[in-house]
Amino acid sequence: MNRQPLEPINEINHSRLLTVYILIGLVFIFYLARLFTLQVVQGADFTTRAIDNRTREISLTTTRGQIFDRNGTLLARNIASYNVTITPADLPADEGAIQEVYRQLSELINVPVNNGNTEEETVRNFTPCQSDLGITQIVYIGETNAPFDPVRIKCNIDETTARVLQEQKSDMPGVSIEIESVREYPTGGTTAEVVGFLGPIPAIEQNYWESLGFVSNRDKVGYAGIENYMNDVLIGKNGSRVVEVDNSGQILRDLESPIEPVPGNSLTLTIDTRLQAAAKAALVNWMEQKSFQLGNNYTSGVVIAMDPRTGEVLSLVSYPSYENNRMARLIPSYYFAQLNQDPHKPLFNHAISAEHPPGSVFKLAASIGILNEGVITPDQLINDPGIITIEQKFFENDPNPRPQEYWCYIAKTATKQHGDLDFLGGFSQSCDVYFYKVTGGYKEEVEEGLNIWRLGEYAKALGYGITYGIELPGEQNGLIPDPTWKRINVFENWSIGDTYISAIGQGYVLATPLQVLVSAATLANDGKLMRPTLIKEVLDNQGNVIKPFEPEMLWDITKDPRIHVYDENFFQTGEVKVVEPWVVDLVKDGMREVVVSGTGQAAFEGATFQSAGKTGTAEYCDDVARPLGLCIPGSWPAHAWYVGYAPYDNPEIAVVAFVYDGDEGALLAAPVARQVMEAYFELKSAATN
Amino acid sequence: MLRRETWRHFDYWLFGTVLLLSVFGIVMIRSAVAGNIELVNSVRNQTIFVGLGLGLILVLAAINYRTWASTTRLLYAGGIILLIGIYLIGDAAFGSTRWFEVGGINIQPSELGKIILIIALANYFANTVDQPHNLVWIGRSFAITMGMTIWVLLQPNLSTSIVLLVIWFSMLFISGLELKYVLIFGGVGLVLLVVIMILIVSGVEVPLIQDYQLDRVVNFINRDNEATYGEQYNIQQALISIGSGGWSGAGYGNGSQVQLRFLKVRHTDFIFSAMAEEFGFIGTALVMALLIFVVIRCLYVARKSMDTFGALIAYGIATLIFFQMAVNIGVNLNVLPVTGLTLPFISYGGSSLLSLVLGIGLVESVAAHSQTLDF
Repeated sequence: MNRQPLEPINEINHSRLLTVYILIGLVFIFYLARLFTLQVVQGADFTTRAIDNRTREISLTTTRGQIFDRNGTLLARNIASYNVTITPADLPADEGAIQEVYRQLSELINVPVNNGNTEEETVRNFTPCQSDLGITQIVYIGETNAPFDPVRIKCNIDETTARVLQEQKSDMPGVSIEIESVREYPTGGTTAEVVGFLGPIPAIEQNYWESLGFVSNRDKVGYAGIENYMNDVLIGKNGSRVVEVDNSGQILRDLESPIEPVPGNSLTLTIDTRLQAAAKAALVNWMEQKSFQLGNNYTSGVVIAMDPRTGEVLSLVSYPSYENNRMARLIPSYYFAQLNQDPHKPLFNHAISAEHPPGSVFKLAASIGILNEGVITPDQLINDPGIITIEQKFFENDPNPRPQEYWCYIAKTATKQHGDLDFLGGFSQSCDVYFYKVTGGYKEEVEEGLNIWRLGEYAKALGYGITYGIELPGEQNGLIPDPTWKRINVFENWSIGDTYISAIGQGYVLATPLQVLVSAATLANDGKLMRPTLIKEVLDNQGNVIKPFEPEMLWDITKDPRIHVYDENFFQTGEVKVVEPWVVDLVKDGMREVVVSGTGQAAFEGATFQSAGKTGTAEYCDDVARPLGLCIPGSWPAHAWYVGYAPYDNPEIAVVAFVYDGDEGALLAAPVARQVMEAYFELKSAATN
Repeated sequence: MLRRETWRHFDYWLFGTVLLLSVFGIVMIRSAVAGNIELVNSVRNQTIFVGLGLGLILVLAAINYRTWASTTRLLYAGGIILLIGIYLIGDAAFGSTRWFEVGGINIQPSELGKIILIIALANYFANTVDQPHNLVWIGRSFAITMGMTIWVLLQPNLSTSIVLLVIWFSMLFISGLELKYVLIFGGVGLVLLVVIMILIVSGVEVPLIQDYQLDRVVNFINRDNEATYGEQYNIQQALISIGSGGWSGAGYGNGSQVQLRFLKVRHTDFIFSAMAEEFGFIGTALVMALLIFVVIRCLYVARKSMDTFGALIAYGIATLIFFQMAVNIGVNLNVLPVTGLTLPFISYGGSSLLSLVLGIGLVESVAAHSQTLDF
């Protein structure tokens, strides 16, 4: 065995070598096949992914339009806000150097280097700008999400700090200053209910906005007010660049020619900020004063002033409202929750969205109805005994009529009666029995009343029951009921009593403060119903007017036939007619009489201008009052209304004032309207002097 | 020593192919630098390495390989001393200690160790051709292997350790390891692999296996195509690079994945992907064929060798080149988990090139001295 060969021999095993050759061949073929699959079979897919890698579409932020009031006062503008960011991937490689950057930054912006933890719960709840985490923790979260994207460490630092940071940036790799455009509302809470506020793109609308080229978590959209309703005009259009980037996200070149952003258009509103401030002060102060004096708690109210000739809304106050500057950068969750849970609904625009029984201000509609239909003559006397009793019939020849009493408000409080009244007397004293009788009919005295169908026609002619498209979200149309509506919604037949209380704006009738205002403004404007609007002009970003103001008349009740004629079975005959001009004039006389000798007389005593108006005290029993046990039959709580215009002979301003649960319209609402009118004339004389 | 006969039998095909691949490597590295400031010196360095390397091949070719048989013990002892040295005093880099710095060039003793082990094993197997191929025979060869491997494993350097063990097994196989042992070893290896896998999955800490190695295996099994950074991202980018090459590639210097640096470690571990993007299926298959040709040529030299020692050296070097190439390409094609093995002759790096040119030098020596016997 211990053979020592004289000549060395190559004893390598050839069969085993063959095995090795085969193995090498198999591996080579397998790799070639794999290479072929990747490059040729799946080549197109991978090419697409390679293109996706290096191509990035960058959205260029547009500038939102500004908002001005009618005198050019800024209501909304854009200001620069500085945020400190760290791009995790750009931090130094050395852990010690990173700590040095954190320490240096921490001193400048007062954010601790370490605070909090990075547990799952914390990470999930993390919102940049809104956490008290330390720099290390924020960067950790940012790095795990997207190491090449900057994460915000502190938002809205002051300009000086921003400048210092900018200078020291080179010492702190990874740290940079982000300039963000933020909305600011110089007039704040005074105009919040009109202007509204912005918020981030809601998750549910994300696809819609992104299809328009907007970027979630960066671009903002209107959440309320003009900002919301006129968002399309204000928002502009983002530009875009398609660029080639390298792995670090650095832009190398444009692959397509860039599309520049188109700035949004600006708006001039019809609002006069000074009048708005005066109106809000008048309402709030009066409510507070009366709360104190009467020991009640008046919580919410509305004042709207409008030019009846053009429909321009000069002021629109919905109280309570909110401070929109607090939502400029981001919407603080605690503040939003507070607003949302407030029972008096500050986020809700009471002026256009709240539907309440209009009460006696609705008698404007009933009045033009009874006069125009000739139910009575203006001079015909109707007797008010204080209380009348009628037999409630739910259908003709009801064998079991129920007798029910109908009271005039004056009989409730003072056991008095109005006695015999003509139209002007009935209207200016706001005599409920007068309107019961003429609208619903009463025995032999008024054989055939106006009835509910025709009442509805005249109410709608004055603008009830519809929306006008005022430039605010959430406008409501109120409710003008009729027997068909009642059968469908209440499952009961219409009764004569329903007609009675509808005549005085109670029962099922609902209206928004804006509708009440328009009804009076239409009469003030001799029957011409002007569409109420908040937009005076649309401006381009240079300030040039691109859409000047044009008053829009929806109709003229004395010229456009809008009143449907009904036959004796309450079917429309197909005929339509107009309201006679003398009817409009007579109702205006009635409104004047209210201020001179009627229910509004006390409130307007000694006024330096001549005005006309109508008070309203609308009993209600809503979801707020019922649980509190306030709905006691015979003494329900009531809303205070007043609607009027001035000067009487040549109306320039129409005002509605509404105080929720304000009880007496003459006491709570009329003085507010008077103060707004006074402010208007004061501002006017200040401008002319 | 520099006799005319030496160069008559010198394998010009092998040398030419190695030269071609090395030059192509420099060209590819030039493209792969892609404006990275830290890599600007790579092309110059690699050119120097290749120049020195080719010289080294010629020098080694001129030296009769039989010289090394007599100095095996010395080489083996020297190799182990270097490995222990690196274990004790070496630079700490990337979490494991792997190299000495000699005149600005990093030398990895483990790379030298590969060649030394091949010589040592070739010597052992050549001397024991006539001995019974029993467990003692196997055990001795294993002891020689582990004497070197243990220090590499301690660095820790798992991939080189695996290379050393593969060399051992491959040389054992060619030296006539009985088929029952092949099956037993295969079985034991498989069971060991499964046990380690189970331990890994159940979270038990396995000695000598680092966390990052664990992650690589876990990532390989549990693929995440949406990763935005880290190793998974690198692998995805490698696949995108390869796939977007198509038939003929984007052209030299035009691969967006390479030039815009989406492909990571593109001058070393993932240079295959860079090549695949810029030269496509045709170019890549050609380079693969050239690499295979080098392996085949080494095996050819092994067959033509005058003695078993020379044959085993050439065979061992062939194993080394083929295994490194197969693993590197396998990683690039995402059929193997990530390892640190480079693509022979093409990837950047003086140290890995060193063991390869030493190897080729030895093979050339075997070829050159196959006809002449210097007694």
